[in-house]
Amino acid sequence: MPFTAKSGKFSASINTLTMGTGEKAIVLGGENVLPFYTFDAPIENAPKVGIEITDGGLEAEPECVKKYYEGCETIVDMAKKAATFEGVDFLSIHLEGGDPNGENKPTEELIKIVKEVAEAVDLPIVISGCKNVEKDSEIFAKASEVLSGKNAVMLAAKEENYKNVGASAGLAYKQIVGAESADDINLAKQLNVLLTQLGVDAKSIVMNVGTAAAGYGYEYVVSTMDRIKAAALQQGDATLQMPIITPVASETWGIKESIATEEDMPEWGDQEARGIDMEVETAAADLASGSNAVILKHPVSVATISKMIKALV
Amino acid sequence: MALKGLDIFKLSPKKNCKECGSPTCMAFSMKVAQGAVSIDACPYFSEDAKAAMSEATAPPMKTIKVGAGENEMVLGGETVLFRHEKTFVNKTRYAVDICSCMDDATIEAKVAELKHVDYERIGERMYVEMIDVEYDPASGADRYVEVVKKVAGEGRVLILDCQDVEVAKAALDVCKDAKPVLNGANAQNYEAMSKLATEAGVVLGVYGADENELFDTLAALEKLGNKNLVFNACTSSVKAAFATAVQFRKAAIKDSNRTCGYPSIVNVSKLAKGDSHLQAALLSLFTVKYGSIVIAEKISYAEALPLYGLRQNVFTDPQKPMKVEPGIYRINGADENSICLTTVDFALTYFVVSGELERSGVPCNLIINDAGGLSVLTSWAAGKFSSSSIAKFFQEQDIEGKIKCRKLCIPGKVAVLKGELEAKMPGWEIIVAPREAVQLVKFLKDMQ
Amino acid sequence: MTLFDVVFSGNDAVYGLTENAINEAIAKYGEDKAVAFPDTAYSLPCYYGVTGTKVGNLGELKAALGVVKTLMTREQKLNDAFMSGVATALCAEFIEVLKYIDGATPYEAPCYGHLADAVIRELGVPLVTGDIPGVAVLLGAAPTTEDAVALVKSYQSQGILVTLTGGIIDQLEEAGYKTGANVRVIPLGKDVTSVIHVVSVAIRAALIFGNVTPGDAGALMEYTMKRVPAFVNAFAPLDPVIVACGAGAIALGFPVVTNEDTFKVPKSLINQPDVSKFNATSLEARDIKIKITNIDIPVAYASAFEGEIIRRKDMQVEFDGSRVDCFELVQTKEMSEIEDHKIELIGPDIDTFEVGSKHSLAYIVEVAGKSMQADFEPVIERKFHSYLNCVEGAYHTGQRDMFRIRIGKDTFAAGFRAKHIGEILYAKVKSEFAAVVDKCQVKIITDAELCTKLRHELAIPVFDKRDERLLTLTDESVDVYYSCIMCQAFSPSHVCVVTPERLGLCGAVSWLDAKATNELDPQGPCQVITKERPIDERIGEYEDVNEAVNKFSQGALDDVSLYSIIEKPMTSCGCFECICGIEPLSNGVCIANREYAGMTPIGMTFSELASMTGGGVQTPGFMGHGKHFIASKKFMKAEGGVARIVWMPKELKEQVAERLNATAKELYNIDNFSDMIGDETIAEDPETLLAFLEEKGHPALSMEPMM
Repeated sequence: MPFTAKSGKFSASINTLTMGTGEKAIVLGGENVLPFYTFDAPIENAPKVGIEITDGGLEAEPECVKKYYEGCETIVDMAKKAATFEGVDFLSIHLEGGDPNGENKPTEELIKIVKEVAEAVDLPIVISGCKNVEKDSEIFAKASEVLSGKNAVMLAAKEENYKNVGASAGLAYKQIVGAESADDINLAKQLNVLLTQLGVDAKSIVMNVGTAAAGYGYEYVVSTMDRIKAAALQQGDATLQMPIITPVASETWGIKESIATEEDMPEWGDQEARGIDMEVETAAADLASGSNAVILKHPVSVATISKMIKALV
Repeated sequence: MALKGLDIFKLSPKKNCKECGSPTCMAFSMKVAQGAVSIDACPYFSEDAKAAMSEATAPPMKTIKVGAGENEMVLGGETVLFRHEKTFVNKTRYAVDICSCMDDATIEAKVAELKHVDYERIGERMYVEMIDVEYDPASGADRYVEVVKKVAGEGRVLILDCQDVEVAKAALDVCKDAKPVLNGANAQNYEAMSKLATEAGVVLGVYGADENELFDTLAALEKLGNKNLVFNACTSSVKAAFATAVQFRKAAIKDSNRTCGYPSIVNVSKLAKGDSHLQAALLSLFTVKYGSIVIAEKISYAEALPLYGLRQNVFTDPQKPMKVEPGIYRINGADENSICLTTVDFALTYFVVSGELERSGVPCNLIINDAGGLSVLTSWAAGKFSSSSIAKFFQEQDIEGKIKCRKLCIPGKVAVLKGELEAKMPGWEIIVAPREAVQLVKFLKDMQ
Repeated sequence: MTLFDVVFSGNDAVYGLTENAINEAIAKYGEDKAVAFPDTAYSLPCYYGVTGTKVGNLGELKAALGVVKTLMTREQKLNDAFMSGVATALCAEFIEVLKYIDGATPYEAPCYGHLADAVIRELGVPLVTGDIPGVAVLLGAAPTTEDAVALVKSYQSQGILVTLTGGIIDQLEEAGYKTGANVRVIPLGKDVTSVIHVVSVAIRAALIFGNVTPGDAGALMEYTMKRVPAFVNAFAPLDPVIVACGAGAIALGFPVVTNEDTFKVPKSLINQPDVSKFNATSLEARDIKIKITNIDIPVAYASAFEGEIIRRKDMQVEFDGSRVDCFELVQTKEMSEIEDHKIELIGPDIDTFEVGSKHSLAYIVEVAGKSMQADFEPVIERKFHSYLNCVEGAYHTGQRDMFRIRIGKDTFAAGFRAKHIGEILYAKVKSEFAAVVDKCQVKIITDAELCTKLRHELAIPVFDKRDERLLTLTDESVDVYYSCIMCQAFSPSHVCVVTPERLGLCGAVSWLDAKATNELDPQGPCQVITKERPIDERIGEYEDVNEAVNKFSQGALDDVSLYSIIEKPMTSCGCFECICGIEPLSNGVCIANREYAGMTPIGMTFSELASMTGGGVQTPGFMGHGKHFIASKKFMKAEGGVARIVWMPKELKEQVAERLNATAKELYNIDNFSDMIGDETIAEDPETLLAFLEEKGHPALSMEPMM
């Protein structure tokens, strides 16, 4: 008697969403099964992997990442180089230097970087904000303008600034609006509803439902994604059928497991391996729980996760 | 599927004799319904009642014990597919793969490396619990037994990865008391292997070329009366391994297919040989999705730090958030003159706050209160993080004897405590810190 | 002449002008000559928006005028007037576009004329987000230059975008008033027809931000009506052309306020002879709410000060409801009874009081709003405590007529006076309850005699009435219940159904709270649950409640009863104040509260019970609930009600005794019912409890078996 599994195919599916334009455009979502459950139904659009560079340029990168960008003098050089790494589907420009409580770089300076990078690479682009809601509103509005027609993702609108970001990125410039909430299905849903009420097309919303580095309250990430996918697919809840994008690098490259040097923690061993594995293991868990795209920093992490995705889809 | 406590109570003797260890039949029935105790603990349940219930109360997935003594560990026994539905109960265990084809020096180095990872994280020992010993026919049976003998004393549960009945028998002879997993049954040898495992009283691991063969072999073994089993996820590809692990778990829990209801072994060292980062990714993948034992080529701190943190998170009961040990945590080389901050013992709060404090670079004493493992506002609302509880905690822990600084920052969300704390803790300057942890870096820097 | 006739004649006049202008242009340039506004992708935006047709040259413009003519029907009906208004606007657009022919630059500073798409995108975002709360279209010349300046300034200070057409431009220039897009005062042009350039902004906003399809006039007008908060201020004298333009504005949903004594159309054409009141009248007519961002007080205001305690020696003055007459009150009024932001002090100010003295104080916050309900009054009032506590150097405890406020010496020295209490309450109530409070004024009374009088004649009767309302508020007396899913972060499938007689199991969310939460945050955790389709009244099961629970639990739960703990009981999250569970021997239930650490006769402690009952899973025989629910007539109604309660911890019993006894008296005519209930001093095991219950003759013993 052979093993017969009941199919877990759902009648509802995740929205499909195209990022970028032209040959390098990528499609997120579309599946009607749980993550990687290809035995239930084929998954047409495999999850995608993005690489992150920041407005801080080479200087701001961890030592172990710098060597991969050898010879790069500008951020544009880095972006061009990043586009050549194995497994890279899209580019995320993380404008963390805009934070008023940090470097507080003027918006114009950041937008100049965005513009130059966008002209130099043809990959789909994600603009990751500085986390300050007022500054992000400004950054996303301007970035949306200079990226007009590029189908870029603005990551992300939050409850506090969804109106600004939704109106500028989503309505005025027809970019893709990221909707960020913190590990709570109801908050995620509420934000999607508010954005669509504002007039943003539900099909051009991508969610960041919150993430954490493995070990740092990651149970909330797993359960939030599990529940969102269940609601989207099983319950057919259209307000949660947006694909999920998860910025991993910004979480994992800030914690001590990744950044403590070997001198500080001799028993932990090689720092680069730790940084990569923290990034890779967090990303793998994100993808297994439902992310349709992850954003990573280390080129080896990108290649590894891309390989894992290919092996699974 | 799951029987409610009240249904069980209706069939109970209702005599409150306490012989089962519970004070009342109601309490006992509720525990049985939860799966916390076996119905057999009650001597008075009628056989009919037991029979009526055994099928209903039998867990969809078997709970399997491996190892002996202090190394004994429990696998399987899950009742849900997603942790939010209730909780996962028995965490994934990790093994490192060694082979009888390796020379002694290699094996010793590998054992030393895996034993190097041994630390505590939020009250849990983190280490590589198992060693997978793979049989290499080319180097012979004697060599295999020798290797098994060599690693048997390392305090780790062994997985005897050997599908040759005779060799397995010889290996078992040197280690069966430690209750290893005999991972060697397949469609051809299962009868002999089952006999061997049953006689030695060990768990039998089952292989199949594909899902169908695996399922049939499991069914055949059950027919022989052996239900002390684990199964190997197919090793032909990552995709096949994932499919087996997920589909069998789903079939067991959702569709009550009991033949699938055994713990799984996933050998990622075979799935991604030589690619340690890909193995790290797969270790994580199979921790989230249904690996009971995952075998890798190596587990050093690089793999372990994220992996064990992830496992600890995923296997936390959603009802009982993780707690850290209350006390003083000295951050950034703080000493007795460094500023004090206090918050609750909810693990997530601790991690977020301590992470931000580390980022600030400012030396500070983080004083974690006993607040029942709840978040700041929840514990405050429940009266577990109040001015009296904080004052009492400071007294019990003799904080004033350990720290000379008298500046104490409290979470902005409980700014209401300021006045009361000043009254209850004379000599302390109470400072209201920001509401959100991310604002701490700026707050501390501004204060300096 | 009727209003319709005026509109029609204005329309005809403009049409004639347009026709002539187009013919002249064709004569001069030929039909193929291109016509366009600069820097827009939307052709003639108004015409394109309404018809979906782009106009590229004079020939097409002429054809377009033919289409406009078809709108100009002449029946004495509202729709004809509106369409003629729209036709007038389109004609104005045609006249304006002709000004740009042959690359001309018809407008010079300070006038803008046509606005580029880029400006719309820039202004559109704050319009959508509400950062620009409204758009004022000022038309004509104000009675005086001072009036013009004052009015523009008032809008500007509220963040409202102002556009100017006609004489008012000269008036502002004469006064040297700064204008320009950067200060959000935009002079369009001096001809009436230039008003079309602001209409063009509204239309393009609909096309860009509203995803309205060009040509879908219905959707276009719905968008401008609902999402573009514009209004017109037309100064006397009005000529028929202006009236016709006004009809066009009204068709788009923009009310017209004028100081000319002319026709009136409720909510659309409003007569306000006093130009200084144009602002208030316009905002009310267009339902524009101005966000309050700062609180005008001389000391800091932040939640960090919430926990401050002002000691006697640091105290400037004290108001103490336990010693003298004090009260705080929210009262709902009619819109017309309230002058927004009026703060009135009745009696002496703080600086006349001796240091360290004690006084009477009353403050009445009067509110009005279209969605305001008397039920929200106590919800707003309850927030006063935290509002006033956030002041640096001030503190507030208690509520109603039993509050105490102390104001510190430093705060007083910084200039804090009685009116600042009003400023705080005004600002907080307006910002946090913006969804229900449109207007708010505060009366602060320090006159001791008046405080005494009003406390007894006004406040206490209101409090009594509210208490009575709470008592009479039953599950049957309301039409809807509310969900509460605040706890889903840690208890994913749990849904509380909050009814008047069954508050949330955490004890913190009453039906009124849930109702207010829903009103203030319609997408939030409290959603309306109807109860129109009963399945079983005995256990309180409704089809619509089940559907809601299924939806809010993401399918984890299919059915719940409101009044039974055996059949489909409501689930529990983890934050319940109490748990009740069946004690089979005595045929009743034991209740344990969170604070009680000992054993219960069920054989389980509170925490053991909690681990079995929590997590949003139905556990028949066990249920989490709030303390307040214990004395409810709906408590376990299906199983016979409160008579089933056989045991409670002593402390809890004492807390609920009075209300519980009243309920038992009413339901079963039993006196002092709480004395029949066991506690930990009587029994912690079922046998001893049973003996006690038998001795007391507890009603549960003779009730139907529970199982």
